[in-house]
Amino acid sequence: MEKTRIGVYVCWCGTNIAMMVDVEAVAKEMESRQNVVLARTYKYMCSDPGQDMVIRDIKEHKLNRVVIAACSPRIHENTFRKALENAGLNPYMLQMANIREQNSWVHSDRIEATRKAKSLVAGAVSRVNHHQPLNKREVPVNPASLIIGGGISGITAALELADAGKRVYLVEKESELGGIAAMLDLTSPHFYSISDSLKTLIRRIEVHQNIKVYMDSQVKQINGYVGNFNGEIKIGNKKVKNIDFGNIVVATGLKPIKPETIENYGYGVFSEVITSLDFEQVLKKGSVLNAYGIKPKNVAIIHCVGSRNEDYKPYCSRTCCMTALKYANMIRSALPEANVYQMYADMRAYGKHCEELYADTSGKNVLFLMYDQREGMPIIEKDAIGPGVLIKFNERLSGEDIEVPAELVILMTAMESGKDAKSISQMTGTSLDANGFFIEKHPKLDPVSTTTDGVYVVGSCQSPKNIPESVSQARAATANILATIAKGYVEVEVITAEVNEDICCGCQFCIQVCPYGANNYDQRKAVSSVNEALCKGCGTCGSACPSGAISTRHFTDKQILSQIEGIMAEVGSG
Amino acid sequence: MEYNPTIVSFLCNWCSYTGADLAGTSRMKYASNIRVIRVMCSGRIDPTFVLKAFTEGADGVLLCGCHPGDCHYHEGNYKCLRRFHLLQKYLDQMGVDKKRIRLEWISASEGKEFAELANEFSETIKKLGKSNIKEEMKVEDKKSPESAVHRPARMGLQSTVES
Amino acid sequence: MSTRINPDFKNELTHFGKDEWNECYHCGNCTAICPLSKDGFLFPRKDLRAIQMGLQDKLDASLEPWLCYYCGECSETCPRDANPAELMMTLRRYLTSRYDKSGLAKLFYTNHIWEYVVLGLMFLAIVVAFLVFLPLKTDAALMVNESGGVMINSLVEGINAERFIGIIEYGDWTMAIVIALLLVSNIVVMFYKSVLSENGIRIPFSSYFTEAWQLVWNFATQSRFSKCDDKQYWIGHLLLMTGYTIMFILVVVFLPLFQIETVEPWWHWQRLLGYYATFGILFFLTIVTIKRLQKRDVKLKYSHPSDWIFIVMLALTTISGILVHIFRLQGMVAATYYTYVIHLAILVPMLMVEVPFSKWSHLAYRPFAIYFARLKTVAAEVEKEKSHKELVPAVGS
Repeated sequence: MEKTRIGVYVCWCGTNIAMMVDVEAVAKEMESRQNVVLARTYKYMCSDPGQDMVIRDIKEHKLNRVVIAACSPRIHENTFRKALENAGLNPYMLQMANIREQNSWVHSDRIEATRKAKSLVAGAVSRVNHHQPLNKREVPVNPASLIIGGGISGITAALELADAGKRVYLVEKESELGGIAAMLDLTSPHFYSISDSLKTLIRRIEVHQNIKVYMDSQVKQINGYVGNFNGEIKIGNKKVKNIDFGNIVVATGLKPIKPETIENYGYGVFSEVITSLDFEQVLKKGSVLNAYGIKPKNVAIIHCVGSRNEDYKPYCSRTCCMTALKYANMIRSALPEANVYQMYADMRAYGKHCEELYADTSGKNVLFLMYDQREGMPIIEKDAIGPGVLIKFNERLSGEDIEVPAELVILMTAMESGKDAKSISQMTGTSLDANGFFIEKHPKLDPVSTTTDGVYVVGSCQSPKNIPESVSQARAATANILATIAKGYVEVEVITAEVNEDICCGCQFCIQVCPYGANNYDQRKAVSSVNEALCKGCGTCGSACPSGAISTRHFTDKQILSQIEGIMAEVGSG
Repeated sequence: MEYNPTIVSFLCNWCSYTGADLAGTSRMKYASNIRVIRVMCSGRIDPTFVLKAFTEGADGVLLCGCHPGDCHYHEGNYKCLRRFHLLQKYLDQMGVDKKRIRLEWISASEGKEFAELANEFSETIKKLGKSNIKEEMKVEDKKSPESAVHRPARMGLQSTVES
Repeated sequence: MSTRINPDFKNELTHFGKDEWNECYHCGNCTAICPLSKDGFLFPRKDLRAIQMGLQDKLDASLEPWLCYYCGECSETCPRDANPAELMMTLRRYLTSRYDKSGLAKLFYTNHIWEYVVLGLMFLAIVVAFLVFLPLKTDAALMVNESGGVMINSLVEGINAERFIGIIEYGDWTMAIVIALLLVSNIVVMFYKSVLSENGIRIPFSSYFTEAWQLVWNFATQSRFSKCDDKQYWIGHLLLMTGYTIMFILVVVFLPLFQIETVEPWWHWQRLLGYYATFGILFFLTIVTIKRLQKRDVKLKYSHPSDWIFIVMLALTTISGILVHIFRLQGMVAATYYTYVIHLAILVPMLMVEVPFSKWSHLAYRPFAIYFARLKTVAAEVEKEKSHKELVPAVGS
């Protein structure tokens, strides 16, 4: 058997790691470990020269195992696996030690952090001894895609894919396509009619031969893996349809919160108080009137209704500031004499032509009144002397307690994730953040993928977004999907279970615990077997197996136990 | 000087490990005695791993998985929970304080919660002091080499590094 | 207690000068750069906010506009060209109209045609009164003294010099008292709005006296003005103010010593003071006129009709006064008489209109505003000390 030769590389990550961890000491300590041939440090291991160093060493020093102590494997494991592959080594002969996210960034004692880094790297060295070469599996991709949600994001994605000649299943829970965008009159900051553009897109979808739309429908179940998913769609109340597809675009969007939950705004109590989506309907009718059919003399627009407030939604709902400015302009042109008030907590006008709209609007005799959420939100009461309501709050820029009369109050309600987000995240194996929005694979470098291959999250289901952002995301996801389809195959998880038939006693515990039905019992041999296409490599069967016959590749008992040993071994201090 | 314990932590790849990474990217400070081992799912956490960690000298073992219903593999965390309860009972019977092992759900967005959990658990273990399992194992080993280890290969209590 | 906002209020202000209130985004640079804006009396941003929101009571009670001397620094710093300095000027005009309960100040500021009409009517009344009741003697040409100068008090038919001086003095004093009464009543309004009506403020009685020196000091030196970065305006304004004050005292209090039949030599105190006053007024007036026409300095870029009326009236008064002096020295009797009449016909309406109802009222409002501001500061200090004592009991007691 070939002798194990390990190369250890400790990354400085500039100062990110080197400031808190004595990387040289870590490398030195590793030199003396069993089977370690060399241990080096480098400023940025992920850089081209860093990777080249690994490749060169593998060739020159005949390394057959590599340990890289750097950032989280969730960030650069694939980078280094590719480097190993380029050097002619099986990519799974790599083990990473996370000494940045889980060490240098979270500790403040350099000696302790260095000691911990040594332990973690020692664990990795110990583990890598037992790594086995694994071969990637390629499976063909089903060119059809499932799109969940028929809002502007889902519509865009559907048309992109269908126009490229690929089959699309578009599932919409409502009886109409268009989502929130369809409820809008004009868009900000340019005041284009979105309904005109949407109508054209929806008509194209309806007649498109590559798109099958399921209205009033819900996804009930999703099985399979990238390239080969299978799902159940419940159409209307009873009919269940079974479809196959290779990729999934989640575009479930968001919905406004119920403003009744914030009592001080008196929504539902005073007819003068309406939500922004209510007001869009008023605008669509062509004139600005309140619920009593009267032209208001004073119109108040209250920002951040439930947004940026720890008691309701801690995040910014992204589109309301610009929409509120749009309203001010609409009201100003419909009612030139009316007083328009913007009651805001902070004006957020970032983005193309947005600051310009803000500047332009503030010159149109619109009174911007600032309130501080920490000191309480505005309170709406019946006006004792006037026809409408009174909005009371402490105005921050003057420091005065003021009351503002208004015959029409528009609440810029916060947006929250759709109510089916939870079930769809569970079906697709993706995660939701603390606010119920989908988590993307990487917030900056991979903003539409998820940790589940073949599942993309686009538009407002991952955080409130405006239309151009949603459209961009939908197109980004479809570009990814089309690339996969063009390639014709996808590489699937090699980390699957395998059965050592010699040890298997045929107890079938593994079959009971497998969530995917990937384990079968071979009656003839009286042992279990694994269907690798279905197995996702969670390893639950391995922990359940009483005889140790079933193990998960790359996470074998031996590998993990030796990692524990390595971590617990004594390390030199300092 | 206060005893500085060693804690071995098993985190599932999808929720808890990501949560711990988030604590890092958010630069939240927590106790430096946590040593993390990544597994694909909390369902993969074999009781043997925990026992191995204790016999190697760990003073505490922290297990984390996705919140119920959020498991990337549907239900691995439930399996982990069942095993955890049994394991706690087992450890208790073997004279190990069951507070030395803990199972918590940490989602990918709960960096803060992970940092707090790490600190809290570290404090608990500090109060319990040094675990004497490793020492006792040695004594028993000397007394009767066979009796200490019932399932040597499976329990992984022997060194796995081939020499 | 909360205040109901009045967004229409800002429209009322447009006649007083500045008429655009939307540019400001409240960065506060103006307040930060102002050398006079201090704790307790911060301006100009807060005043602009009060205007935007229509907090009229708050503005009526504010002393800040009088504490600003319009150096223009805030307008130069403003990133939005909101021109806060001009805003303070507008507020001073507005406040003048609010202190005056007769409504004349508001009428003159908002519709300056009325100011012309009143000035013109008073001019005519005085000219007619002179021509009817105090006409030029038929033998006036003889009224020349030994040095060849006109005997100015002996030019009226049937009235001797002593009597004539008596009549003019009587008129002077009447006018001074009327103006003083009007100003005092306005200052009472100002005191009531800015000090008395503010809740929870108790001015220690003794401080009314201990702080009274502020009035005289600030009137005489305008030391607050000197704190603005550009000292030239302070010096120029001081020349104007002292010149005018000297002249006012000479013609009201010391008229029998000033308006005499003989011609004193040029180095006589009475003539020297007169020359100083004339120079002081004309010098500053000339500079201000040129700069207002140039529109380069922020301070003098925006001229309200009331600013020009003031300048023109003062210039006409001074020029006619100089002419009286020249004609008198030259022994030109008729010319002396008629320019004297015209001089009075300009001077009297100017004082009667400008001092209580228009721009000139600031001569009283500024020192009083500083005095009231000082009283409020003292009250706040006393309050602070008291609450401090309550919070921290003396050690060992």
